[in-house]
Amino acid sequence: MSDGIKRREFLKVLGVSGAGASMVGCSTEEVERLIPYVTPPEEITPGVATWYASTCNECSAHCGLWVKTREGRVVMVEGNPSHPISKGGLCSRGHSSLQGLYNPDRFTGPMARRNGQLEPITWEEAEQMLAERLRASSAPLLIAGGAGPSMSSVLEMFAEAAGVGLVRNDPLADAPLREAGRMAYARAAIPSYDLESADFILSFGADFLETWGSPVAYTKQFSQASGVDEEGHKSEFVFVGPRLGLTGMNADEWVPIAPGSEGLLALAMANVISAGGRNAGPYADIVSAFTPQSVAQATGLETDTIESLAERFRSAGTSVALGPGVAGQHRNATAANLAVLILNEVAGNVGTSVRYGDAETGAVETSFSDLSGAISAMQSGSVDLVMVYGCNPVFSTPGGAGFAAAYASVGFKVSFASTMDETAAQADLVLPDHHALESWGDAWPRPGVVSLQQPAMQPVPLFDSKATGDVLMSVAGLLGQGFQEATFYDFVRSRWAEASGTSGDAFEALWKDALRRGFLEVPVDDDGATALRTPDQAMVFDVPSFDGSAEDPVLVVYPSPRFGDGALNGNRPWLHELPDPVSKMAWHSWVEVNPHTAERMGLRSGDVVTVTSPHGSVEVPLWEYPGVREDVVALAMGGGHTDAGQYADGNGVNAMDLLPGEAEALSGSAVYMATRVSLAATGRRYKMATIEGSSTQSNRPITPAVAIAELGHAEEDHGEGHELKELQGVGGFVPVETEGRPQDYPLEGSQHGQYDPEAHPRWAMAIDLDKCTGCSACVTACQAENNVPWVGEQQVQMGRDMGWIRLERYYETVDATHAGPVDVRFMPMLCQHCNNAPCEPVCPVYATYHSPNGINQQVYNRCVGTRYCANNCPYKVRVFNWYRYTDAIPEPLNWQWNPDVTVRDNGVMEKCSFCIQRIREAENLAKIEGREGVPDGAVVPACQSTCPADAIVFGNIKDPTSRVAEVVESERTYRVLDELINTQPGVSYLKKVTFHDVESGEH
Amino acid sequence: MTKRWFLGSATVLAALGSLAFVQAQGGEEAAVESAPAPATSAEQPIAFPHSIHAGTDRIPCMYCHFSAERSVDAGIPPVRTCIGCHQVINGTTPAQQREIQKVRDYFNRGEAIPWVRIYKVSDHVRFPHMRHIAAEIDCTECHGAVAEMAVIEEVNQPLGMGWCISCHLENDASRDCAVCHY
Repeated sequence: MSDGIKRREFLKVLGVSGAGASMVGCSTEEVERLIPYVTPPEEITPGVATWYASTCNECSAHCGLWVKTREGRVVMVEGNPSHPISKGGLCSRGHSSLQGLYNPDRFTGPMARRNGQLEPITWEEAEQMLAERLRASSAPLLIAGGAGPSMSSVLEMFAEAAGVGLVRNDPLADAPLREAGRMAYARAAIPSYDLESADFILSFGADFLETWGSPVAYTKQFSQASGVDEEGHKSEFVFVGPRLGLTGMNADEWVPIAPGSEGLLALAMANVISAGGRNAGPYADIVSAFTPQSVAQATGLETDTIESLAERFRSAGTSVALGPGVAGQHRNATAANLAVLILNEVAGNVGTSVRYGDAETGAVETSFSDLSGAISAMQSGSVDLVMVYGCNPVFSTPGGAGFAAAYASVGFKVSFASTMDETAAQADLVLPDHHALESWGDAWPRPGVVSLQQPAMQPVPLFDSKATGDVLMSVAGLLGQGFQEATFYDFVRSRWAEASGTSGDAFEALWKDALRRGFLEVPVDDDGATALRTPDQAMVFDVPSFDGSAEDPVLVVYPSPRFGDGALNGNRPWLHELPDPVSKMAWHSWVEVNPHTAERMGLRSGDVVTVTSPHGSVEVPLWEYPGVREDVVALAMGGGHTDAGQYADGNGVNAMDLLPGEAEALSGSAVYMATRVSLAATGRRYKMATIEGSSTQSNRPITPAVAIAELGHAEEDHGEGHELKELQGVGGFVPVETEGRPQDYPLEGSQHGQYDPEAHPRWAMAIDLDKCTGCSACVTACQAENNVPWVGEQQVQMGRDMGWIRLERYYETVDATHAGPVDVRFMPMLCQHCNNAPCEPVCPVYATYHSPNGINQQVYNRCVGTRYCANNCPYKVRVFNWYRYTDAIPEPLNWQWNPDVTVRDNGVMEKCSFCIQRIREAENLAKIEGREGVPDGAVVPACQSTCPADAIVFGNIKDPTSRVAEVVESERTYRVLDELINTQPGVSYLKKVTFHDVESGEH
Repeated sequence: MTKRWFLGSATVLAALGSLAFVQAQGGEEAAVESAPAPATSAEQPIAFPHSIHAGTDRIPCMYCHFSAERSVDAGIPPVRTCIGCHQVINGTTPAQQREIQKVRDYFNRGEAIPWVRIYKVSDHVRFPHMRHIAAEIDCTECHGAVAEMAVIEEVNQPLGMGWCISCHLENDASRDCAVCHY
């Protein structure tokens, strides 16, 4: 100190005065308290995560969860790898359940309406009030959404005890498929489909990779079947329907048939396969009436196309046909479903690849007609009390049904919603339920599999909620109709004690083990036998009628891949910020219109149009999408909330506003494909919040593919003959000598900084694009794991979205005019961890550098925000904190932060870290257990962990026995752009395999 | 105009660049003086003498700071751990008895003891205790001669990066930024 103030000290002083008041807040001057436990819970070690097995409650698939808690607080959910349904995968919606738990707009406690306002009351008062009202009520009604078997029993027993009419409601119920199964096989069930062993998958519009059935389980199976194996075998997938959803985009061929004609095509195929219907048993008459010639015009297909499709379906080793699914529910939907079942039957699939023995049992057995009965009752004034549990019918019922008005007319309305929604907003009494992560429960996704849901944390103390099961049991008690069990927890236990045929210590052991594993297996008595029988109802297989003018396009309303029906999950910023897997748009709605149709109408993407049906109208920006037929427009469910919380309200439009309140005659299902709509320009433009830079690769080999016929012959194209080039400031592209193996990176001359070329391990990733379906679960998993903020619609419009993974989507071949190949390329683009990284040398403060373990690191506290690195990154994977996005997050939504990852502030650049915190955790564990090194598979990044398609592999590429080293040996391996700019990426991709020819394996 | 803009932005850049160092400080004063910050004057809710527990009684550190060898956190003992001994140990002097009674009162009220935090690394730093224990770094190397302290004093403060690095250099531990910063 003799020479006065040193440079560093000077900077420190400058730092304090220059950066102003905000800096003082960062200092440790304030007294901080350390609050220990009084009596510590046995399972908690501070700083070490405790995991609980549980069940996802976001849709009827009921995937298995591993819930990660830290110091008694849930911080992450992941898939349970040993769960028989989801096998470790989890979708974006599953991840977002965390934001349902910490939803800042949850009810703070029970409330009753006084003078028009909801005011807090105690639970005792609330239950008393409900009991009194029920006593006084002449015709009470309970409308209940999805619930597990125990909760369903409680609902039924409560309804019985209290004399309440029980109506179940599930907007996504596939009632037509149930009804078709009942007619054909006397099995009113949703069969399970074996996609894994299928060689030929034919979907009649069923979006099984995104919303239909059990999407995570089907994605697992599909990626196994459709991902090319070592023998070069890959199953074919043909998608039939007027619109390509995410599922359709993963097909090898698209048969863009006229809307509503799926049943005709299925029957004509059955006709070909069953020799004109002769082998169709009791359906011979029906099948013989539909020849390829007779349906050609209605379906819009060539006779040859139908015949060859049928021939391929018949001759495939194992085939399976699915559908038509929820978006295809029209006025003849049961007939269409039956037609697809008959097709499966004549191809010999029922009992093998289509099974009733392990039917999907997670969804409530209901249909829209149940709810429309309730609507009539409410309209007639005979209902004086209505309770709503687990659904939001004001939002999710087709506008034409008049639910909202009928509901508003009821004298006393009770809601069990845990958070405000459109239905709860009108309630006179609110009895907020626990969130699924706080409560006991169960699910019955398949016969024999009981998936258990256990509370992973104490209920969030800011919200005085109570499990609805307990509330109903307690109210039944007040009515003098008490349950045998004291609590809902006891009820769940005694139910499974009975079902498993055990009691006492034997059950305790079974129960404990089941909770640890997350599920319980109980014996079922079903051999899955099916016997085809004559239909007991007359049916019309023709294209149904559509409301509206015949020259207008047909409206397809489909469940959103992100939100499903969106009834209860609207207030989740992760889901809004996640770009839709198809449109790549976030936050708002859009109407999909074929570019040719748009051109004819003089409209283009971004024009706000008024979409009008005979039942209502909405104003929404138009998006030109080649994946819809020219005579069809499509709108997703799930948008347009008006009363569901700060993140939900005002985003997009509600497609239900356009639909009639009509039930399909045979199944009672809602009709979502029922009306034509007219489009009229408003003259306004909308700046769409899209992350899509370009929908085509413009001849750049970003996601090259290889034709299946070329497999095995591609060696001359790979590796040795592959020349890397480096773009230099002077001299242009300069060749780099290499053998092109990622194991050898960094190459001579690119060993910058502290790189030790011999260092072990060298972390690297491989992503198989033949398996990736573009579902985007990795994007949300990454956001949850790495405290990646959401930025909101306006910031996304400005290109400031912060996702560390960008799921790129490029059209190669998408043609709605005729049947033929469809080729859409998906690619999860994340930091490539280049071994010769362009971002590193341009950082003036060494905030980004290469670690000895092969990771391109970003050191937040060094970063001064010049953004030079982002400018120099050819992959556009670096994202910048323009504002203090994380500061604006209200309590308790900030409880979701991962305590192992720094929460970034404004002015800081960030990007994928290869989940460095998980690497450190594995290293720490190895060290304290005295092991040398981390075994292969011990580090699983969040994206790999959640991937339902098992497309991602991560590990030490220097270890020749590791999976990643094995995978990159594939002839399909390539690195993005490396032959142009010699970046030597640590992320390798495996090319997609197509059945059609692709030019020189490049694009 | 141009010149002023340049100076202004240079100042801000420099200020931001030094953020890393300042965040780890005990405050402005600590930033200017090179000597370690003086021991905290903050009052602990209970006059807990490490000198008796770790010194006279020779209780191992990890009897109370139980998670140091298996977690990033060393762990502050739950009140029940205190009561485990102080159910029977009453203290010899009236002053001790008064303090021990406070512990029992906290326990009986079911209330946590709000200890004042002495050591804290910045939010952007990960310090895994278990790795340092596994490497046989003695607790005293960072926390000083705790066994001789009647009141815990801050030693090695501020917990600056230079201090960490010097030890990592000595012990040939990794100096990769992302060992601690992520």
